[in-house]
Amino acid sequence: MSEALDRTEVLVRKAKSLGADEIIAKTTFGRYRQTRFSNNEVDITVAWNDYVTDVALAWKKRVVATQIRNFEDAEQRIEQLFNLAKVSKENPLYGGIASGKFSYGKPSADKEVVNVEHSDHIQAAIQAAEEEAKGRVEAGGTLLTSYDDVYLVSSEGPVGQDARSAVELSIRAFSEREASGHGVSCSPTLKGFDPSAAGRKAGEIAGLARGPRSGEEGMYDIVFDPLFVGSMLGMYAMMSSAFYVMIRMSIFVDKLGEQVASDLVTLRDVPAGYSVAHRLFDDEGVPTKENVIIDHGVLKTLLHNTSTARLFGGQTTANAGLVVPTAWNMEMDAGNTSKDNLFEEVKRGLYLTNTWYTRFQNYATGDFSTIPRDGIFLVENGEIKQSLKDIRLSDNALSLLKNVAGVSKERQHISWWEARLPSLSPYVLIKDVHITKPK
Amino acid sequence: MNKDIAEYALEYAKGKGVDYAEVRAHREYQEAIVLKNGIVEAYIQSVDSGFCTRILADGGLGFASTNKWMKDEARDVVDIAYKFARSANRRNKIVFAKEEGVEVKYSVEQKVKVEDVDPESKIAQLSEVDKTLISLGINIPARVIQCIITSTEKYFANTEGARITSFIPKVFATAMITVVEQGHPEQAARQFGCSGGWEFFDQWNIPEEISHEAKVLKRLVEEGKPITPGKMDLICGPEVAGIAAHESCGHPMEADRILGREMSQAGRSFIYPGGPFWIGTRIGSPVVTIVDDPRIKNSYGYYEYDDEGVKAKPRHLYKNGIINEFLQNRETAAKLGTRSNGSSRSVNYDREAIVRMANTYVQPGDMSEEELFEDVKHGVYMRSFTEWNIDDRRFNQRYVGREAYLVEDGKLKHPVVRPTIETSTLNFWSSVDGVSKELVLNAGTCGKGDPSQGIPTFMGGPMIRLRGVYIK
Repeated sequence: MSEALDRTEVLVRKAKSLGADEIIAKTTFGRYRQTRFSNNEVDITVAWNDYVTDVALAWKKRVVATQIRNFEDAEQRIEQLFNLAKVSKENPLYGGIASGKFSYGKPSADKEVVNVEHSDHIQAAIQAAEEEAKGRVEAGGTLLTSYDDVYLVSSEGPVGQDARSAVELSIRAFSEREASGHGVSCSPTLKGFDPSAAGRKAGEIAGLARGPRSGEEGMYDIVFDPLFVGSMLGMYAMMSSAFYVMIRMSIFVDKLGEQVASDLVTLRDVPAGYSVAHRLFDDEGVPTKENVIIDHGVLKTLLHNTSTARLFGGQTTANAGLVVPTAWNMEMDAGNTSKDNLFEEVKRGLYLTNTWYTRFQNYATGDFSTIPRDGIFLVENGEIKQSLKDIRLSDNALSLLKNVAGVSKERQHISWWEARLPSLSPYVLIKDVHITKPK
Repeated sequence: MNKDIAEYALEYAKGKGVDYAEVRAHREYQEAIVLKNGIVEAYIQSVDSGFCTRILADGGLGFASTNKWMKDEARDVVDIAYKFARSANRRNKIVFAKEEGVEVKYSVEQKVKVEDVDPESKIAQLSEVDKTLISLGINIPARVIQCIITSTEKYFANTEGARITSFIPKVFATAMITVVEQGHPEQAARQFGCSGGWEFFDQWNIPEEISHEAKVLKRLVEEGKPITPGKMDLICGPEVAGIAAHESCGHPMEADRILGREMSQAGRSFIYPGGPFWIGTRIGSPVVTIVDDPRIKNSYGYYEYDDEGVKAKPRHLYKNGIINEFLQNRETAAKLGTRSNGSSRSVNYDREAIVRMANTYVQPGDMSEEELFEDVKHGVYMRSFTEWNIDDRRFNQRYVGREAYLVEDGKLKHPVVRPTIETSTLNFWSSVDGVSKELVLNAGTCGKGDPSQGIPTFMGGPMIRLRGVYIK
């Protein structure tokens, strides 16, 4: 047993000795390095280490939590936390945490990511963007490398050790003041990392986006790029957490078993090995697994920890965060058609490559808007005809799911600043999407 | 917090012959209570502390942080930051605008210290909000009340002699409700924040404020009607004026954005060197002045010195409708040939300080609220908003009303369901012809940076009147 795991277990034993009913402690030793660049130059490289133990404790259904960063007084902090539980209030809906012994696979993290020479990869991405844009671009972005050692001990049996690594490059290239493209490459290992591919994507879109004119309001059939889809999947993932359903910050309230999407839509939460969110166990120590949230348009399950699962009469889906259930890595199942075929189905519509600033009028009804950015294109008879700007997608989250008319075979692993939840996203064709513009 | 370790790190950096180095140390006590439908979902208490160093060498910047208070760790973070700075290999060397190092200590007083209020009392006060909502007799199936308390001690030291010690406690609360009437859900959220003690929790009168929201949502379902789209007058309440000031004045006036440093995340600005908008260009009517002032006592965005050790001061961003002054840190100020105006902020020791707003508001005018309304023939009064967003140039924005009413011949009529203004920054501020006298400020958390740094701000204003804008 490693020293860190031992130290984590000491905290659990301490809490039990005080009388805690249940306790989970998770120690993370994280090493992070990020280089930010803009206007084709490095602005700053930052490194931060985080040595932290997250603790959640329950006593007579009173749930309290803390983060411990100073290990010298860690046991004293556990005492304080237990005392806090004594004066807190009972949560009658609290259903406990997972119990039992579990076996986990071996961590597949790549230690080499911490030795990555950032500037080389950034220059490769910028160069690829310029080549693909066929001209000079102004590029900005980030390259993040991270390595986490994770040790988890639960009073109810689970004990686990994991290592998680990631390398993520995000590049946005401007070919003109209002013409840009965005590309990402993210992988848990150096093997799957391709900064030039991210640069090529950014450059390709930036090149096509030259000379934009103002778009027009109306209803459009739209091909969404995986980057855009990644942002949308993050939105649906949050809404599929049982916690957000319980507080009605979700379109999925009382919808279990119902058709909530086109039968072309299957959404899964999969903390798979290809993902920067890969993990062996959740924050209760339950081995993570694949969960089909929407199966051919039917809402099959919400994402649960042990406590919310009991409330809903089911089993945990191994999505426990320390307090609320959370998705790890969303996948939208690939369709049986190609990206090119999706475009061919569009007589007069749009191709949207990216978005940001998604905000809801009402999470329960799903009315929202989001602002497309980077390449926005008018598509006629399957061909890109004109670069556009100044539009907003103003529609409904349920309507979008129901109007999915095509999903591509091609998919891309997405994770970046605006789409923090990693995903495996295809190109998606959605019919009759409402576009507005400023007046 | 161990100032000796911070000083040791700085001395070690000096020994490397850096152009500039700073050390910023934080110790933050954090407390959060989440009440879901009257039940304490979780009570969280933590202490976080650590320090960072930022080094300028050979025209490049490097940054490293740790939460281990040890001398060898201090040497490590300096070595790492120095290595990063030297390896930046920039063609355009970074320099900092001139500043004098100051030695100062300041703190925010608490009439009722947050750590002196026992957890039971805090839970009881949050529960009171929930009980008040239940007592209304309105169907409110989702009620989430949260309170977040932080007490932050900071120490800033740099190679120019600055030594700044500060202590700022903050209290922040949110209330989010879903009202379901006639089978239709409507939602509202409110935020409250301050720099100060627990006394503010009482002053906010959250039970009454959130009860008002519940009643408004019920009435909206029962009596609300959509607006017939068209050009009309729009009176924005302080909450709407504030979000517009924040989004379409504060953000585009951030000099790092203007210079492109945020190009791949939060984006650039419609203001840029060589572009159609610059200092001296008209962006609004003469009655529009928008100020960002960190020094408002007990404000949620309060500070006296920024995270580069620069004295804070009020910034007149748009002045009488003219683009007047950008938000600057030392790096952007040097590039633009000016001085920093103290806009550099960081949320914690493990994040670099970047250009941020503090408390952004429309400066009050000389009209009474009655005068604003009395000569509106046909229009909408948007008291608060629900959905909002803006493009990454900060020019194409949209605000959707939450509490809104039809105005006819100067009189308030029935509630209007989600009236929407979707327009440009230029059109929004150019359409303002009247500004009322009374300033109201609301708390908000501004998002920017990668990794994201949600930072406390105030945003607000008086009531403002826009003439002949398109509402749908």
